[in-house]
Amino acid sequence: MTDATASGNAQGRSRSLKVLDERTRKRYAAEKRFRYYGMGAVGVGVLLLVILLVSILSNGLGAFRQTMFELEITLTQAQITEAEESLLKTSVYRGFIEENMRAALTEAGIADEVETSQAMELLGGDAGSTLRNWAVGQRVTPVPEPDEGVTRTFNFLADGRIDGYFKGRVTMESAERDSRVTPEELALADDLREAGVLRVEFNPGFLTMSDASENQPEAAGLGVAIVGSLYMMLIVLCLALPIGVCASIYLEEFAPKNKLTDLIEVNISNLAAVPSIVFGILGLAIFINFMGLPLSAPIVGGLVLTLMTLPTIIISTRAALKSVPPSIRSAALGVGASQMQTVFHHVLPLAAPGILTGTIIGLAQALGETAPLLLIGMVAFVQEYPAAPPEGLFDPASALPVQVYNWTQRADPAFFERASGAIIVLLVFLAIMNVTAVLLRRRFERRW
Amino acid sequence: MKDSRIEERDTTMNDTKISARGVQVYYADNHAIKDVDVEIQDKTVTAFIGPSGCGKTTFLRCLNRMNDTIDICRVKGTIEIDGEDIYDKRIDPVQLRRKVGMVFQKPNPFPKSIYDNVAYGPKIHGMARNKSELDEIVEKALRRGAIWDEVKDRLNAPGTGLSGGQQQRICIARAVATEPEILLMDEPCSALDPIASSQVEELIDELKENYSVVIVTHSMQQAARVSQKTAFFHLGNLVEYGDTDEIFTNPQDKRTESYITGRIG
Repeated sequence: MTDATASGNAQGRSRSLKVLDERTRKRYAAEKRFRYYGMGAVGVGVLLLVILLVSILSNGLGAFRQTMFELEITLTQAQITEAEESLLKTSVYRGFIEENMRAALTEAGIADEVETSQAMELLGGDAGSTLRNWAVGQRVTPVPEPDEGVTRTFNFLADGRIDGYFKGRVTMESAERDSRVTPEELALADDLREAGVLRVEFNPGFLTMSDASENQPEAAGLGVAIVGSLYMMLIVLCLALPIGVCASIYLEEFAPKNKLTDLIEVNISNLAAVPSIVFGILGLAIFINFMGLPLSAPIVGGLVLTLMTLPTIIISTRAALKSVPPSIRSAALGVGASQMQTVFHHVLPLAAPGILTGTIIGLAQALGETAPLLLIGMVAFVQEYPAAPPEGLFDPASALPVQVYNWTQRADPAFFERASGAIIVLLVFLAIMNVTAVLLRRRFERRW
Repeated sequence: MKDSRIEERDTTMNDTKISARGVQVYYADNHAIKDVDVEIQDKTVTAFIGPSGCGKTTFLRCLNRMNDTIDICRVKGTIEIDGEDIYDKRIDPVQLRRKVGMVFQKPNPFPKSIYDNVAYGPKIHGMARNKSELDEIVEKALRRGAIWDEVKDRLNAPGTGLSGGQQQRICIARAVATEPEILLMDEPCSALDPIASSQVEELIDELKENYSVVIVTHSMQQAARVSQKTAFFHLGNLVEYGDTDEIFTNPQDKRTESYITGRIG
């Protein structure tokens, strides 16, 4: 062994540095291999991300476009009054649409080939109520002459099956086995689209409408879920940020280091690892059963998510405070600042970017959280928008991830497309939050 | 020994600024300072010398209670400043630290402007009633820190952007801005090059007109140059304390002699 090393050394000494010796070559080979492993790992990650994005986008982008009838509707005050006095109000309004549909077909020059009643079959179930909602609003504004008509162009949503046909989800073959649509109707839809009565357009209703029933996938929207999620984020931000930051400042800067604070510290780390559904059970037991807060309300969801976000915020805030160099604290104490002045004038501003990033990442986590919300009833079918806060915090609402879960449970494949669309909305919100975190961080760190 | 006792009595009569008796410092179980007695005079530069880990800095930090911030640190014995025991329960460390300023080993300006660095102390102590008064205080402090001419045109520039020597002088200006009576300096030149060090040394020489300066240093030349009194610490004990000339030319203790001649430390 000794001989070998000695001879190796002797050999190495005599050789030119331009030629790699065995050991160096091996070292370089190992380094190269490691680099390839790393690049491979990054590649796999990027590939998976691309697959995820492509599949979600290809499935979900369709939800933002919807097949619609563009119809010009003229209603007189007398008609509105008549409809409002009848028993089945929306079906009367549907009758009005039928009249105008005939006019539209005539205008498009296909009135001879197409029966109006057949065209009406292709109209979505909520067309009558859409018209009624508008008409009721119209009645309030005083119109002097009862016979005078008010005209407006409407985009009525076509039936979900027709929409599916244009998006490739429904085919002639599947329509033959379908009780809700016939191949003849699909052929008619083709004709109407050619004539320009039916078109596929951007559908703002997906972001503003509330959830709809099983057989009206075309009318289902994210409005209530978005509002519910925003309310919950508001609650989480208002509660978790001040509580978390105060707790971490106290623990990091003021608390004596003893067994009790050690115990608290360990338990905060443990809390961060508790499965989120456990927080849901806690919320159900404490906030709903014990405190009597209403089911499905953003206030309960917000409180549960606050509990869940707190450890994240506390841990990141403490890390941010820890990373402030002790020399800054000594400097401030040295000129006679009190401990609180030291913290608030010097330590906290330096830790702010870290605290903000931690908070926003905690919020993003809370935004995407589903499991605890299922337990406190946020999974319910909610048709009405919650009122404005603070009362609205106690009204039933949905949440974005829960809406996704909800829609994937339904049988109609149209809801699968809408669930993917909802995921896109959720991802956009998350991306916005993360970009905000990065920007805030940059802005504050660049100050010096 | 006899001489120093006479002198001690003299200073007690005249102006002893800090008087420490039987000071013991423990870090948890570690006995860092063992029974130190020392009398530090007003308007004098006192140097603490000794090998690393001998307790110089620890003792210095006792003088403005900076050790309070270390949980495991316990201080026993009495330290009196102007006849008041600073470890008395009624003594407020914040007021004490205004009276006993401190300059640290590494320049540690706040990540703020030069102006804000110096103005911070006067601001929190309410020393200025308006902006112009504050401007005056800042200018005076920067002049005393011998840095005014270099920074007067860029008071709003960040203090962290200056060179090491300038930063240290900013820190000295910041320390004198609150009008302390005692200035503690913990190896103020250890991070500086010889030119910056000599600037700081000149500054210390000027500062002794107004303040009692206590300086911890590893450089015996520096101690010899700037101080009138020198204390030699070894393994937590105050081995010898007396006039600087005396310590360097005629040390009484074997250990002092060994350290000064470079045999230990």
